[in-house]
Amino acid sequence: MVDQFLLGLSVVLQPHILMYAFIGVFIGQLIGVLPGIGAITAISLLLPITFHLDATTSMIMLAGIYYGSQYGGSIASILLNLPGTPSSVVTCLEGYPLAQSKRAGLALFVAAFSSFIGGMVGVAVLVLAAIPMTLIALRFGAPEYAMLVILGLLAASLIGTGSQIRSFAMVVLGIALGLVGADATTGYYRFVAMPELADGISLVSLAMGLFGVSEIIRNASRRSPPGPALSLAMRDVIPTRAEARQLAFPIVRGSSIGSFFGALPGTGAAIASFMAYAMEKRVSSTPEKFGTGHLPGLAAPESANNAAAQTGFIPTLTLGIPGDAVMALIIGALILNGIIPGPRLMVDQPELFWGVIASFFVGNIILLLINIPLIKLWVLLLRIPYQKLYPVVIVMICVGVYSHRTSVTDVVLTLAFGVLGYLMKNYRFEPAPVLLGFVLGPLLEDNFRRTMLLYSGDFTVFLTRPISAVLVACSTFLIIFAIWSSTSVRRKSVQSIP
Amino acid sequence: MQSTDQDQPSVARRALSGSVLLAISLAMLLIAWGYPVGTLTQMGPGFIPLVVGFLMCGLAVAIIALDVNSTNTAQAEQIHWRGLIFICAAILIFAALVDALGLVVSMFLAVLVSQFADDQVRPLTALIYACLATLGGWLLFILALELPIPAFWR
Repeated sequence: MVDQFLLGLSVVLQPHILMYAFIGVFIGQLIGVLPGIGAITAISLLLPITFHLDATTSMIMLAGIYYGSQYGGSIASILLNLPGTPSSVVTCLEGYPLAQSKRAGLALFVAAFSSFIGGMVGVAVLVLAAIPMTLIALRFGAPEYAMLVILGLLAASLIGTGSQIRSFAMVVLGIALGLVGADATTGYYRFVAMPELADGISLVSLAMGLFGVSEIIRNASRRSPPGPALSLAMRDVIPTRAEARQLAFPIVRGSSIGSFFGALPGTGAAIASFMAYAMEKRVSSTPEKFGTGHLPGLAAPESANNAAAQTGFIPTLTLGIPGDAVMALIIGALILNGIIPGPRLMVDQPELFWGVIASFFVGNIILLLINIPLIKLWVLLLRIPYQKLYPVVIVMICVGVYSHRTSVTDVVLTLAFGVLGYLMKNYRFEPAPVLLGFVLGPLLEDNFRRTMLLYSGDFTVFLTRPISAVLVACSTFLIIFAIWSSTSVRRKSVQSIP
Repeated sequence: MQSTDQDQPSVARRALSGSVLLAISLAMLLIAWGYPVGTLTQMGPGFIPLVVGFLMCGLAVAIIALDVNSTNTAQAEQIHWRGLIFICAAILIFAALVDALGLVVSMFLAVLVSQFADDQVRPLTALIYACLATLGGWLLFILALELPIPAFWR
């Protein structure tokens, strides 16, 4: 394991790869800071560029955008009360009150430091889990893949916030959108309303529409509040000894929760940060301090979302199954580069596999180093009014989608999905499960049909194969837990997370 | 934008989102009805679409039932028509012109039109900003990234 990790480090420390790792985390932090542009938009925009790079370099850069955005997301939350990324929504709860009481510097430092520890714990879990997970994954057959995808889809809709039945309906809608195009087994055209859809709906169109365009429609007239005055003198930034002692356990708990929810397919950084905040509030001896700028309530979710951003690569790299919407795009990028993600990846492409993992280690160090010194730059960026930003983003989305397949239809489809995403959110339907269903649906259909063919329509195969049986048990447990928690919540009618 | 308890949305309004989902799933079933279904062992291309269609139908009905019976349904956010119209127009203009007139013209018009989605826009500022953004886009996409899109009409 140590040898493989060193092999990875030797890949990353080549100057040109190191440069792309830096570009990735820098762009990630930048778009994390800017509210309204998420990692999904940035990665979709850079997809066409990665065709000129080799697979390892593009993977390192795209992954850097993802975990870099987790660092940046906390900055806008703390200074402006605007979450830069979905996972930094809870950061606002404690970070913004701290900024209002003129302790923004301290909040930024604690957020960056917790993020770093969380990220490093996540990388360590990833390194430790990579080989055992790949060994398990190599024994996966069609029934196991089918059941794992079902577990992931259930987890995506049943865990976390929002209505469970609405999220599940959106997963199913995503699967339906994934059916469009030629059937993989027989080549039969399904739902092909116009010839451009023969290859299916483009992942880039769907992602950019649902997440990019819909947010712009919603926010075009929004005025950003002025940022608070910021003191970055050393004594205002570094926590006191008592404060630091208070932070140790929240960071440990947050990193553990984050590592778990990140590794579980279907749940990602956003859910992990909510869970960590709720947990911290529950175990705290002073729960009344939450919401007033309580440091443990800032540190725990910050370490959780960064740990989750790293362990999210466990199912992505070892099984080829994306844990959340961003991972789905990263897998898409790998496939476009001609590499099929899955358990063979570690065996066939050790430089890529370990190089990417080692890049997370290097990337987290870079992020910690650039976070505080560049804070003046981020504050300056936050002064750019949204009204100057979104027209540029619109053009970037148009050009990005168009250049992907030189298709005008894709641009129009992006707009259609943008309007759909906007209306969906108005009626309390979340867009993220749609994207996950879209990516995982074809995997599910393919493996389910193959299972039925191999075992001549015998459903008991899902229960007689041990790994598959465990996955079925997890799914059943998840469903029972969801029913139990929804009925008990209705009985108490308490909202634990604001 | 804020709603009081008196103007609770009518039953039809509350059932709207679920009904749209139901309509989508019924349309899907209707189209997929003609596809070869096959058997459980030898599934045809129509098998999974039918399963997904029926599942979505069931979920849509459940959502309608929940929404209609729920007493504390939050009023849907008011639709931001100005943003919707001008963003749609900007993207459609880009899509319509990029093949014929090239990247520069379509980019300029997209930036110009999209700025009107903001209700406090000033036309002259928007024009100047569109010129600057187009220059920046030309530098980025054509010179730096060398995207294979023609800059002007041929």
